Amino acid sequence: MTGTVAVLVFPGTNSEDETLRAVRAVGLEGELVHWSQPEKLARFDAYILPGGFAYEDRIRAGAVAAHDALMDPVIEAAQAGKYVLGICNGAQILAEAGLVPGTGPLRRPTAAFAPNASGRFQSVHVHVRLAVDPGRVPILAGIEPGAVIPAWASHGDGRLAAPEAELARIERDGHLAFVYCDRDGNPVAAPNGSALSCAGLVNAEGNVLAVMPHPERDAWTFQHLDATRDAVRGNTEETLAPSGGIVFFEAFARAVLAEAIA
Amino acid sequence: MTATVDDAVARGRELGVALSDDELRRIAEHLERVPTATELFAFDAQWSEHCSYKSSREHLKKLPTEGPSVLLGVGEDAGIVRLGEWNGETYGIVVAHESHNHPSQVVPFEGAATGIGGIVRDVLCMGAEVIGIADPLRFGRLENEHCRYVAQQVVDGIAAYGNAIGVPNVGGDVFFDESFDDNVLVNVVALGLVKEKDIIHSRAPAGSVGWDIVLVGKATDRSGFGGASFSSLTLDEEDADQNKGAVQVPDPFLKNVIMRASYAVFAALRAEKIVAGFKDLGAGGLAGCSAELCAAGGMGAEVELDRVSTAQPELPPEVIAIGETQERLCWIVPTSFTPTLLSIYNEMYSLPRVARGACAAIIGKVTETGRYVAKHRGETVMDVDLEFLTGGVRYSRPYVLPVVEVEARELRRSLYHDAARNDYSRFEALSAILGHRDVCSRAPIYRRYDGVVRGCTAIPPGFADAGVLVPIPGASLGVALGVGGNPRYGKIDPARAAELAVIEAIAQVTAVGAVPAGLTDCLNFGDPTIPEQMGAFVAAVDGLTRASRQLGVPFVSGNVSLYNRSSSGNSVAPSPIVSCIGTLPDVSRSTTGRLRRPDSKLAFVGVLPRTAALGGSVYAELRGIRSRTLPEIDYQMFLAACEYVREGIARGVILGARDVSDGGLLAAAAEMAFAADSPIGFAFEEDCGLINHGEYGSASWFGEHVGYVIEVGKDEAVRAIADRDVPYYEFGWTIGEPFAERYDDGGALNERVLLADLREAWEAPLRAFYGASTGPSTSSG
Repeated sequence: MTGTVAVLVFPGTNSEDETLRAVRAVGLEGELVHWSQPEKLARFDAYILPGGFAYEDRIRAGAVAAHDALMDPVIEAAQAGKYVLGICNGAQILAEAGLVPGTGPLRRPTAAFAPNASGRFQSVHVHVRLAVDPGRVPILAGIEPGAVIPAWASHGDGRLAAPEAELARIERDGHLAFVYCDRDGNPVAAPNGSALSCAGLVNAEGNVLAVMPHPERDAWTFQHLDATRDAVRGNTEETLAPSGGIVFFEAFARAVLAEAIA
Repeated sequence: MTATVDDAVARGRELGVALSDDELRRIAEHLERVPTATELFAFDAQWSEHCSYKSSREHLKKLPTEGPSVLLGVGEDAGIVRLGEWNGETYGIVVAHESHNHPSQVVPFEGAATGIGGIVRDVLCMGAEVIGIADPLRFGRLENEHCRYVAQQVVDGIAAYGNAIGVPNVGGDVFFDESFDDNVLVNVVALGLVKEKDIIHSRAPAGSVGWDIVLVGKATDRSGFGGASFSSLTLDEEDADQNKGAVQVPDPFLKNVIMRASYAVFAALRAEKIVAGFKDLGAGGLAGCSAELCAAGGMGAEVELDRVSTAQPELPPEVIAIGETQERLCWIVPTSFTPTLLSIYNEMYSLPRVARGACAAIIGKVTETGRYVAKHRGETVMDVDLEFLTGGVRYSRPYVLPVVEVEARELRRSLYHDAARNDYSRFEALSAILGHRDVCSRAPIYRRYDGVVRGCTAIPPGFADAGVLVPIPGASLGVALGVGGNPRYGKIDPARAAELAVIEAIAQVTAVGAVPAGLTDCLNFGDPTIPEQMGAFVAAVDGLTRASRQLGVPFVSGNVSLYNRSSSGNSVAPSPIVSCIGTLPDVSRSTTGRLRRPDSKLAFVGVLPRTAALGGSVYAELRGIRSRTLPEIDYQMFLAACEYVREGIARGVILGARDVSDGGLLAAAAEMAFAADSPIGFAFEEDCGLINHGEYGSASWFGEHVGYVIEVGKDEAVRAIADRDVPYYEFGWTIGEPFAERYDDGGALNERVLLADLREAWEAPLRAFYGASTGPSTSSG
């Protein structure tokens, strides 16, 4: 086994290519699986739902895709303990599908990524910090405690919203996977007004993870906006090499490969 | 015959087409009968200014369009410049530049959104992957309520469409001016990536007689009927409601899917080594598009309008044929490939499931007749000679060139002297400039756009003058996009404004280290039937021609938008808007426009002004200086500066660079400081000697000189970068504290301000208007 990953494409998905690129860069066998090919879905080791506007964000971001038949095999896989990662719109879909925080019945969300406090789409560079014990997120096997990951928060609906009791449960039971921070890991206000400064949610089993910002958009040195790129100026190979947000996918790959071998 | 001709004119008037009586007569004489309604609307669109460039073409042919960097020049939906070689293949960058001015004035959200929709199809139909967009915008005064509405809705429309289709927005600019109160300018540039051998042309291929004509996309409806001729009318407030029907309805969700399906079709064509024809449906709708495709290949067409998927029953044939429903494209493919094509769109990408009535469907055949024949319910509703239809009409409009007065030195001196009398400090002036509507931070706008989707963005907006993409995964080849054009200059001297627009666009891509490979223009002017307004256009084309020739960068595509005037007769500020595509052989040798470290040198490299020129500057406006002397141009000096900057960046000697332009030297330096990764300030010495001192001091610091501000490491031997003299002036240095400092001639610290205060002045104006963004700013990332 080599670790095969399906990157799902719904009508309206728009980040499938860069997600696939990141998956392949960390040694996984990635493949795009299109909404007209549900029969292909069963055979993968893991699944990624990439960013975009699946089904035009009708009703609520992620809501229609969560009820799409394409999600049936993904939900089954998640329940069987396979790894499922959602980024941005993918995170919204996982919340709408009830897979994260996973505290209620399927497709009856207990928390959602609601419209940003500004009421608008916003694209800003951010850092996110791992906010749970790494042991709680087997999907990111071996990730360092408190790991800080650069990413782009490019979304209109990234504000975690849930009833008070549910927010308390998310915090208490370790569902709050990532929070917004500065580059040194210090807490900052969420750019979208997200409750708990939440940038990502994980289920109780730690095999389903939803993150709002895009680590795959800051996963190569040429994409960095700070001195780390300046430091390798003139070095073509280093400039084009994976770094930064790629650590997120490296951790994901370790998990998928370990599972595939076991 | 006379009776026929008169009937034709009467028919045209009755249907409300924009064709002139003369044009209607020509059509009737050619057809030797009264044209059908479908034919009249087809001519109306094809002979509109928008499609035929009937007033502009004789002038546009002056523009230089050839050069070694051109893979495909002017003539199709988009031009293509050479990006470089990778893995044994030659790659090109497709570039298209359009306006969507009239629709955006009437229905700003939809107008701006469909502007992107249209330009993206122009790039797509060359066989390219769409990799980037940019929007040059010209809004009216924000004091005016309707202008505020337009300015909000246009940005919303761009964000809604561009974000959904997943194409990064990597540039553009914004100006505010009262001349745009009644007539907003919404230009849009789009870039695509294509291998040279995979370019698809917008024509019926040789030997394509009998091939299928396939219409792809949204079900045809009544929206956008008459759009081409609408954009060639002047806007009259009373007609606003009536004109709304001429604006198309955007569907970025469907477009997202059509783009991806089309990429799959490209792959299938490559696999089967088939040459096809592909074109976007824009102005003139289905008939316009299929007619141009077949005319370009020297063929004819026979089209069955009944086979077009329609959204509403009982659409009249002229609406099916000419309506400009969005999100549609037209293929010409061999019949053997048609099943593959249909199955990709209809099954794999299931267009009919994505939007009601959307599909790919065969609607006709290519013929050898040279005629365009359209049938509807068994009746021939159109039968015209293709060359006559698409050859259009040409006008030699009378024009009066603008008179540009040369200001006597004495007059200029007295103008500037008056302003100097109640002088305020350099930093008070700088703060006012940074807070000026045309200089202040654009972050509240560009943060609404996704600048990093596709994962190929190396420099998103805000970090440099040009956006930079690395479009081929694994390859070091980069693409830079710059945009220039200043309405304040346009009002004073359209020709020089055009030259300065070319210079600015080139300077922006050079400032990141790129080589300018090609130019595009969108020429936004007033009414060509008014000799003074036509004269401004002619002068601008002359200016573009001069700059392009002097700087050796050709035009590869462009667009003309005329009739940008309101019913009161006022034209918009003559607005030649230019974009430049730059190429980077190795993106690791590019740089940004932000300060990098303390104790570096800050220098100006560019056209060293021989005299003060504050005409059209932000400073002049703020101080009420009515000078009309625009920034000095010296092409040899500018070229030397460009070469110097490019080489300095490639060698790593130049740490960062910005084009001076709006606001002048200190404003450029301040913007570099604002973009810095850590707190770095700057200092300057009043006696820098850029221009003779004394009453011209303010012109040194706030004149919008042609050239660059650069940061150079303190130990670098600057003149050793290039083996020649460069127009270089050191005026300051960077400091490790978040301040801006001014030293006097004797070297004593004279004035000092917090960068944060300058920054607040810069960020506040549009933040208030477009809404605050909370959380980390991009520059802290």
